[in-house]
Amino acid sequence: MAMSVEEVEAAIIEKAKKAPKPQLYIKDFYKCAPDMKPRQIKKIANKLVEKGELMFWSSGSTTMYARPDRIKDEEGAEGIN
Amino acid sequence: MAKHDTPMLDELEKGPWPSFVTDMKRQAETHPECWDILGQLELSYEDKITHWKHGGIVGVFGYGGGIVGRYSDVPDRFPGVEHFHTIRVNQPAGLYYSTENLRALMDLWDKYGSGMTNMHGSTGDMILLGTRTENLEPLFWDLTHDLGQDLGGSGSNLRTPSCCLGESRCEWACYDTQDICYALTMHYQDEIHRPAFPYKFKFKFSGCANDCVAAIARSDFAVIGTWKDDIQIDQAAVKEYVAGNYPANGGAHKDGDWGPFNLKKEVIDLCPTQCMWMEGDELKIDNSECNRCMHCINVMPRALRPGKEKGATICIGAKAPILDGAQFATMIIPFIEVSKDNEYENIIDVIERIWDWWMEVGKNRERVGETMQRVGLPTFLSVMEVEPIPQHVKEPRSNPYVFWKEEEVPGGFERDIVEFRKRHAA
Repeated sequence: MAMSVEEVEAAIIEKAKKAPKPQLYIKDFYKCAPDMKPRQIKKIANKLVEKGELMFWSSGSTTMYARPDRIKDEEGAEGIN
Repeated sequence: MAKHDTPMLDELEKGPWPSFVTDMKRQAETHPECWDILGQLELSYEDKITHWKHGGIVGVFGYGGGIVGRYSDVPDRFPGVEHFHTIRVNQPAGLYYSTENLRALMDLWDKYGSGMTNMHGSTGDMILLGTRTENLEPLFWDLTHDLGQDLGGSGSNLRTPSCCLGESRCEWACYDTQDICYALTMHYQDEIHRPAFPYKFKFKFSGCANDCVAAIARSDFAVIGTWKDDIQIDQAAVKEYVAGNYPANGGAHKDGDWGPFNLKKEVIDLCPTQCMWMEGDELKIDNSECNRCMHCINVMPRALRPGKEKGATICIGAKAPILDGAQFATMIIPFIEVSKDNEYENIIDVIERIWDWWMEVGKNRERVGETMQRVGLPTFLSVMEVEPIPQHVKEPRSNPYVFWKEEEVPGGFERDIVEFRKRHAA
């Protein structure tokens, strides 16, 4: 049976809490809802940012997601633009 | 902020050419943080390493792009650039803006930032260089409410779409580039302002194959104007060019000493597909061989014009050399109608077919052109539901293996893969 949006949200938050690295690519969330289309998962993840459950973390060229309590400060990243 | 000693940078002020060092010193008179840019850059020259860090969590509420965090890794020495964030402002289609708008934008940037700009970034945005985190929200408010402008894309977002000036000034534009650029910018606001993809994705719209926005070299999705029927020829005007009464190239090179116009040498012999010839005093073109290089039309604009049945070619997968080397886009759809009457439905259909596939198959930080290269063109064409045509083939195959799918072979074939693997382990 297909997962509800609330179930997917919970799975994404759980993944963001427990992943070894605080920053996650959108693809890292795909397994949270294997039957859902990637664009739908993206919309749910972005909604979670609006709700304050996740936040964006960008290197400039790539954007990742993280739990706000797992990102300590505004230090910049080493990387490419 | 103190002025720093910058002996190496000072060397870059010598000579007859413009110097960014001179510009920044002038800017530092009103924005002292610019001294710290120069000081930090001098230190980078000494240390042979950058002292910028970039990325992080800075942004404005609700947006996941448009601002790139930038910090100094030596803020104690250069406090003026402790925060020096970059802001990308979505440029107007075709880069048309009034001087009034530019002045207002610069006033805004003088108020909230360093006053330094990069007009324009390679995606086309107006880039405002250098502000602090606490200035971001007030600047965004004024930008959107007072100037009616918006941020562009960054990160894994759809990047700010860009286009040539199209039908507004160019007689060769085969579709309205500015209209589609604006329409798709509005249609894909969510994808521009919030991350959506494994990596960046760029649209560029060129009205003809002169490709003034270099869509074929710089965009994941290049829409390049073309025509389906024959190049329009005005034989009377051809004669005028031959007689020297019309200047070649619209007079663009008239100051050089090129001698009299030579149709054979300057047009026919330079045709890359050799599809032009003279019959008596009439110019003939084998249009089935024309590859839309635009050279003949550029040289004789009063005699030759694009055909009447206009649309676009879609090329996919160009990129700059970040992970792999640079690559040009690959022609996937030779001709597609571009019509505002259907709100670009057919173009949107192609875009979303690519996205649905790439979001699933593309690896993190892999541009769509790299994914295409990894899976191979035949696989990509089947994803796009495009029938292969000879023009998709770059060169005769050197790989002797031919793989057929069951549905491609008349009568098909049956194979028990389990039974096969018992004899041939994978």
